[in-house]
Amino acid sequence: MSPGPSLPVQPPNGPQPNGEPSSGPRSQKSMTKAERRELQERQRAAKAAKPTAAPGAPNAKQAAKSNQPTAAPKKGPDSGAAAAAKTPKDAKAATAVASEGVAGKAHGLRIFSHFGLPKPVSAAKGDIHPAVVRLALQFSNFKITGANARCIATLTAFKTVIQDYATPPNNTLSRHLMTHLSPQISHLVAARPMSVTMGNAIRQLKLEISGSDIDLPEQDAKDALCQKIDNYIRDRIIIADQVIEETAGNKIKDGDVVLTYARSSVVEKVLLGAHSEGRQFSVIIVDSRPMLEGKRLLSVLSSAGIQCTYLLLPALGSVISEVSTVFLGAHSIHSNGAVYARAGTALVAMLAKQHSVPVVVCCETYKFSEGVQLDSFTKNELAPVGDLFSSFPLTKPREALTLHKGPNLEILNPLYDLTPPTSITAVVTEVGVIPPNSISSIPLALGRLL
Amino acid sequence: MDFDESSAQLAVREFSVVLLSGFGNELLPLTGNHGDDPCPKPLLLIANKPMIEYVLSWIEQSGVRDVLLICPAAHRAPLSHYINSDSSASFPSLRIDLQPYEESQDLSVGTCAILRHFAARIQQDFVLLPCDFVPPPSLSLTQILNKFRTESTYDGAIATACFYESHKPEKPASSDEWGPLPTPVPIVWDERSGTLLYVDTPEDVDKNGEEIELRMSLLSKYPRARLSASLLDSHIYVCRRHVLDALHRKPRFDSIREEFIPWLCKPQYQRTRQEKYAAVLSPVTNAASQGLALRHSTLHAKPLDDRPRRPAPSFPGDEGQNEENLRSVVPSPVDGDEGEEPPASLRVGLVVHKASAGYTARANNLHAYLDLNRHFLSQATYSLPSDPENRVLIDHKAQISSDSMIGRSTRVEERASIKKSVIGKHCVIGKMAKIVGCVILDHCVIGDGAKLDGCILGANTKVGEKAELSKCVTQAGYEVGIGESFKNDKLDVSDWTAGAGSSGEEEEDDSEEDDSE
Repeated sequence: MSPGPSLPVQPPNGPQPNGEPSSGPRSQKSMTKAERRELQERQRAAKAAKPTAAPGAPNAKQAAKSNQPTAAPKKGPDSGAAAAAKTPKDAKAATAVASEGVAGKAHGLRIFSHFGLPKPVSAAKGDIHPAVVRLALQFSNFKITGANARCIATLTAFKTVIQDYATPPNNTLSRHLMTHLSPQISHLVAARPMSVTMGNAIRQLKLEISGSDIDLPEQDAKDALCQKIDNYIRDRIIIADQVIEETAGNKIKDGDVVLTYARSSVVEKVLLGAHSEGRQFSVIIVDSRPMLEGKRLLSVLSSAGIQCTYLLLPALGSVISEVSTVFLGAHSIHSNGAVYARAGTALVAMLAKQHSVPVVVCCETYKFSEGVQLDSFTKNELAPVGDLFSSFPLTKPREALTLHKGPNLEILNPLYDLTPPTSITAVVTEVGVIPPNSISSIPLALGRLL
Repeated sequence: MDFDESSAQLAVREFSVVLLSGFGNELLPLTGNHGDDPCPKPLLLIANKPMIEYVLSWIEQSGVRDVLLICPAAHRAPLSHYINSDSSASFPSLRIDLQPYEESQDLSVGTCAILRHFAARIQQDFVLLPCDFVPPPSLSLTQILNKFRTESTYDGAIATACFYESHKPEKPASSDEWGPLPTPVPIVWDERSGTLLYVDTPEDVDKNGEEIELRMSLLSKYPRARLSASLLDSHIYVCRRHVLDALHRKPRFDSIREEFIPWLCKPQYQRTRQEKYAAVLSPVTNAASQGLALRHSTLHAKPLDDRPRRPAPSFPGDEGQNEENLRSVVPSPVDGDEGEEPPASLRVGLVVHKASAGYTARANNLHAYLDLNRHFLSQATYSLPSDPENRVLIDHKAQISSDSMIGRSTRVEERASIKKSVIGKHCVIGKMAKIVGCVILDHCVIGDGAKLDGCILGANTKVGEKAELSKCVTQAGYEVGIGESFKNDKLDVSDWTAGAGSSGEEEEDDSEEDDSE
């Protein structure tokens, strides 16, 4: 790895440290581009001599941004790419800070700025149903998290909205209900960006609404819609989870060491189900901040009687050699076979693959997304700063441990990352165990457009 | 005929506000009758705005529409006049429903009884507010409502309260003779989750005045609870509708603040009470709850309760038995999911407002009333009125300091000196009058040469020439004679009209004492 902080501060035309995984000449070219940027920044800063209050980041961040398009797009863990980008950044940071000084640090963080931080949910515009208001609060306070949970919660809230809905005169339910639901959906999206599961479920709901019979009396139509919502939850989530539980459970043999990352509702069901069938196995739970979801999984599994080991992500390398299978959950799975899941999943999958440990992703078919995703930079979500997750032990003062933004510190918590299909051995869905690259054949096999 | 129909109106209102307005016995004689007309407490002016206006605009900002204003029958007319008048046209989106209850000044009905009486009018979750609360700009009702919304869905919390740190003025401006300052009641709360755990009641103080008794179950559930005796109750309670059912079960209770809320804090950690009242406070309803979603949520852990059916970790010896236990614990996905709900925690949430975050107080006693006026004065700067009508009334030789407030159409004659005071509408301030740190309500007449220091004068008070009043409170319509002087007195009209002889003697005694000082 590159000796970042110990680099001599010299003009960039000198010999370049070859810290990047990419080749030498390319780094030189990017260095000079960064140098040009830096010059631009200096001139701009000199022009705008008034000090601004925005948290300053060294303009070497722009060097990082420029590095990313030039460096080979990494489909792998974004932490890997970020680490690669950081090494030239460190080199530039020394020069940049020295040259710029304190004045002119007017630029916030460029990386991930295109999807910004979640804004606090403001007073609702128009009439938002109280159930949706409360749900949006649950989302923005991270009380209901996880793709399955959010989808179920959204559909449950919409059942209430539909039941309280009254068709205005001169209108039909099938046409007007959708316009009635649209502001509610936008309110939820304003709280937290929509998950793929929510999107698929809402699309299905719209289909059902537009297909509802005009001649039905209103209450019957509403009841039919609620019934369809219940069926969707039951078929695509609950029963799908049962099938996955059995299928994946069969892959766990006595004496296995199963590794899982953070907390997935499906994997939790798989492990509990396998344990209740009497298989003897132990579980290693890998966890990471800021959410520390693995802790809750640990409490659930250990109170069920499963033998568990708990460790944080950096310690993964020391246990990976003992692992027999890795079970992972997913937020969504894309048609190129990439799995979009909690940040850190890609690292686990990659490391397991290196050590020839089979990586099994448990995912229901309704999480399938038609799009193609190549990296986790274009679409991601940042967790809000602050101690939202109550992840510190009771004995320590919370305020001292919580990180806050300072003039030289910007805190980034991307919540998702992308695991390329090369790191995955198999995907267990309710329609069978399939290799990741054949994901796009599922809709055809199911006979519907999803 | 094609009428333009608006979009479907949501019939569901999430919250309704219940605004309680009492007699204001602590603010006597300000709230005493003016002749035969009552001076209702909510219409007393703070910085020349009626008290209730602060609360109403706070409510309006949060987006709640329905307000049920409950007042004594005697106050119905002036309050109804205020609500329907132009001045309250600034609350266009509020629907204020004014309901009187029969109460006389001597026999006061407790707030619990009032709420029980009007329970039928409250159909949804409600917010109980006092009419005398002046909210700080940093705390919005939406924040408290959001905490309630989040917790009642996530946890099964039943109410949210708000306590604030009392603001200590640098030097006490009000006199001790006006009455004792309200002492804060000790409370125990958990800071991390924002839960109110225990409120000391007068009954508890009677039982054991030296110690506060806490249950072990409270401490084992919340080991890092905090105890404080410096927080005042703002009387803001956001409650679920079912709390009213629990209120009906307790006919003995009189005061919401002193008895009902402390009682409501108990079921969350006392198991016997929880079993007894869980069905009332958190009943099984047809409303769809988010139980299934919460069980799938990755940040939701099943509460570790001490029910005996949870098995111990398996020992190598009794494997067979443990398997049986384990089988019962793992919920079967099809049957168990529908029926099982995470048990409601019946928590009472708490929002604590620190003094550093902004000044707030309840104007329910004279000291707080004066303090609030002072506070608003410190924020305002006085400038001569711009419209010529009012301008002409204020003499150019009058000295008015910049931290005063003068109402409309008030006439200030020459050489009057006004410092740090609030003067209402239509007053007349005579020549050479010196007014320092006073609150003067509407229509008062201050004679020439009068000296007022730290006084609160009710509406229509007449102060004679050369009178000296220091830290006095007068009832509406009181007349201070020429040359009289009072210090630290609450001047009631009954003293003045009823035995003129005896009150005359009192006045002479006072003036003699004052002369000697």
